[in-house]
Amino acid sequence: MATTHAPTILTPEDRLARRRLILQDAISLLTLFLITSVIFVLTLFLFRSFTHHRQELGARWKTRGEAALAAGHPMVAIDDLRSALDYVPDRQTEIELATALADAGRNQEATAYFTTLRESAPGDGTINLELARLAARAGNENEAILYYQSALDGTWQGNGYDRRRQVRLEMARYLISRHDDNRARNQLLIAAGNAPDDPDIKIEIAGLLEQANAPQDALRIYQVLTSRREPPFAALEGAGRTAFALGMYGAADEYMARALASPLAAKLTANQKAGDHYILDISVHILLLYPSFDLTPRHRAERILSLRSIARQRLTSCAGSSAVTPPQLAGLVSRWDQLPPALSASKLEQQPDLEQTILQLTYDTETTAARVCGAPAGDDSYLLRIAQNPNAVEQE
Amino acid sequence: MMSDIPIQAVAAGSAAPGIAGTPAYADGAPNRLADTTPAPPPGTAPAGQSGIEKIAPTRDERLFLVLSIFIGVISGLLVVAFRIAIEWIRLLALGSAPHPGQIRLLLVPAIAGLVVSALVIWFFPAARGSGVNQTKAALYVYEGYISFRTVIGKFITSALAIGGGHSLGPEDPSLQIGAGVASIIARNLRLSRRRLRMFAPIGAAAGLAAAFNAPISAILFVIEEVIGSWSAAVLGSLVLAAISSVVIARWFWGPEPMFRIPSITLRDPRELMAYAVLGVFGGLLAPVFALILGYLRPRLRALPRWSIFLQPAVAGLMVGAIGFFGFPQVMGTGYDVIDQALHGQFVWQVLLALVFLKLMATTFSFSSGTPGGMFAPTLFIGAMLGGAVGAFEKHFFPHLTGTVGAYSLVGMGVLFAGFLRVPLTSVFMVLEVSGNYSIILPIILANTLAFLISRSLQPVGIFEIFTQQDGLDLPSMEEQREESSLHIEDALQPVSVPIVKGSDALQSVVQMVTDDRARGCLVHLADGSWYALGADELTASSAALTPETPIQRALKQDRLPLLFPDMTLDSALHCFPRWPFLPVLNRASRETVEGMLTIDDVLRRYQSPGNASALA
Repeated sequence: MATTHAPTILTPEDRLARRRLILQDAISLLTLFLITSVIFVLTLFLFRSFTHHRQELGARWKTRGEAALAAGHPMVAIDDLRSALDYVPDRQTEIELATALADAGRNQEATAYFTTLRESAPGDGTINLELARLAARAGNENEAILYYQSALDGTWQGNGYDRRRQVRLEMARYLISRHDDNRARNQLLIAAGNAPDDPDIKIEIAGLLEQANAPQDALRIYQVLTSRREPPFAALEGAGRTAFALGMYGAADEYMARALASPLAAKLTANQKAGDHYILDISVHILLLYPSFDLTPRHRAERILSLRSIARQRLTSCAGSSAVTPPQLAGLVSRWDQLPPALSASKLEQQPDLEQTILQLTYDTETTAARVCGAPAGDDSYLLRIAQNPNAVEQE
Repeated sequence: MMSDIPIQAVAAGSAAPGIAGTPAYADGAPNRLADTTPAPPPGTAPAGQSGIEKIAPTRDERLFLVLSIFIGVISGLLVVAFRIAIEWIRLLALGSAPHPGQIRLLLVPAIAGLVVSALVIWFFPAARGSGVNQTKAALYVYEGYISFRTVIGKFITSALAIGGGHSLGPEDPSLQIGAGVASIIARNLRLSRRRLRMFAPIGAAAGLAAAFNAPISAILFVIEEVIGSWSAAVLGSLVLAAISSVVIARWFWGPEPMFRIPSITLRDPRELMAYAVLGVFGGLLAPVFALILGYLRPRLRALPRWSIFLQPAVAGLMVGAIGFFGFPQVMGTGYDVIDQALHGQFVWQVLLALVFLKLMATTFSFSSGTPGGMFAPTLFIGAMLGGAVGAFEKHFFPHLTGTVGAYSLVGMGVLFAGFLRVPLTSVFMVLEVSGNYSIILPIILANTLAFLISRSLQPVGIFEIFTQQDGLDLPSMEEQREESSLHIEDALQPVSVPIVKGSDALQSVVQMVTDDRARGCLVHLADGSWYALGADELTASSAALTPETPIQRALKQDRLPLLFPDMTLDSALHCFPRWPFLPVLNRASRETVEGMLTIDDVLRRYQSPGNASALA
């Protein structure tokens, strides 16, 4: 409540006392100011030394934590990084601590920590990537893909271009492991489109495309690499392998022969070498059987007759393996019966339509016999491979 | 028996020698005011306070505001130094990264307990306890007096205890240090006793504001728990002191909030249900905590005198054992652990374990009489409880969007409201320490629930329990806050006397009063003022004046005070010796009489049964 003071008439003694009081108060306030200054200086000194010491401790624990994390001792890293955070709170250290928690298998804590970090930085690439890994580890596929996508769209410190590609490849690997080949292929094609002119990266992407059951896309990348003046060995090998998988035995033969002729082939393990030789051998055999249009008409007709003979035998043996001819083979038998019983190469070369009819029948015979009587061996197996995609055999 | 507040001294205070009217104190010499107040210089005529008031009547008022700033600055500096002292002691004694299995975790709190115990018993007896009740006692019992020795003692012993690993906080001691600084400054400036008493809460607000880095919460806490009512006389100074101290604290620690709060938003209003569950848990846990403390504290005090020396050491050993065997997080203030909980670094099982271990550790430390506060442990337990409830709920309801950190943050406020019983402070405290206003709705909901549940289960607040245990009779701030004062409208009666104009003839007025058998009449004068003319006064006038005399000439010089229905009933009381009844006017139209009051009406209203509970 405000109070009003009536003017008081002061005696000379009172006036003197008032002057003394004012002086006293001024001295008191000045003293108070000086005391405040002294306390300020002392506190400042204490604070500076304290802050300096804290920073030293923070840096020391952070270094230790990072070293432990790099050395694969996440449990030690957790304690060290927690201590570092006590002294110098730092976002990078927080991420490292959460990573250490994840590495230590403390997924629940790591997820909680990263989720909290993500709240304040939803676009942080590293945090989203770690969350994707944790979700993948926990089997939460939708969540993992969502976080991977956020990591791809997020911000990255340093070389964001490379980090995004790495994330994309990691995401593709995850999708492949979940047998989601289509989405994996999409991611890999984007990665391939954005990849720099680095053979190693392209070979890695092509390898993943092979795993994602996209050999055609992989072959395209390998083929580009093999057209270099010094084609990488892995590209030749990959091109041979993917061409073989696509039934392009001519190309497979060519790439694999070049690969195996390379000095680097000597560095392959026995199993790898055997695998490559298997591809090469089969491709050679197929090419020896295949009635290519590049052959002379006579030679081509002879090969067709030879294939006819192989297929006929396969049908006979397959049909004879049981007392009653299976219904799938019955149709084939009647088609075989409609063919002229005796044909010479010279006659056949005059009748391209008949050539095609015979070839189609041999392919159908091998395919159906494989279904009814199981996988063939020898020339039948080569003929079956040709039958699966006859037009691809000589594709480049 | 060592007591937080020197009871025997209070009883002896009035009889002790010293400056007339000032009490004596038990923490040293009989009269501290006599020790610390400088003697007036020779030749100064008005040596006493009345003399100062005569020669400089506005001095106190002017100094009051200036000194508030000084108090804020010095309190801020001391609190910064206090926190650094705690951290240095912790680093030196417990190491930079204490972890389970370190033998020092067992030994250091016990040794710190022994040292603190010796210091409190032999040198600083008034440093015992948290500091809140001591500050209240200074305000209500010791006329704002807190000795310099108490301030020093509080600083040293609390820093040793908290830095040594006892499960206590620095906020309540900071509050007392601030109040002590204010008391010392005010005494040395020879301010009036009324001002001296007002300075303690100002310093308390400054100390708490610097400790929390939260000026609004500090002001609200002092109003809610120390002063008990909004007082315009001190509000300005409270704000000045609190802001000054926070400016100083922020100059050192930076403008960031006390805890690094992750971004928190309430996306779905349905999630308020989840926060309400947290409020219920907080409301249930708070009385449990209060009951345990209220049970153990007096029993430890009742033990033989020699054991009092050992109690802080034994408490330290028990707290150290909790740290040694796996949970060093419960030691000390626990700010770093709260920070970790806010960032979701613990699974709910660990959080739940921390709730109960911290509760035990704090009960040991506080009940043993170790100097230190309850604020930080309350925040700690609340944050862990919030995190545990949040993590548990999220586990079973994964669609909840709030992070575990958000629940921890709300949990801090929940226990603050339920345990310390300061609902308004709890809301603002969370907002200020987090710097995040987007979570205000869950905080208000959960805190209110916790406060109501806690109060219904445990009607007596924790500070009041301690006060009663100390044998003091300090006012209950919780009850004081809820007191509803009576207003004039509560006793208002219809006008039962004639209303006449000043120009009416005396004879006609007498006739009207006689006809109505009224106790007098209300005279409305031409200048808009009113006069309550009693029957006796009217009779006397009619005997002295002619019948045609206008009634206004029969009136005395004074006029009725203006009374309105919303004014407090107290404000009408002082009018009755002079006036037989009082008209109550309308604020919009002073010519309209809303009703009237007599002394009987007022007394009847005060004595009515419905009013007894409101004023109890």
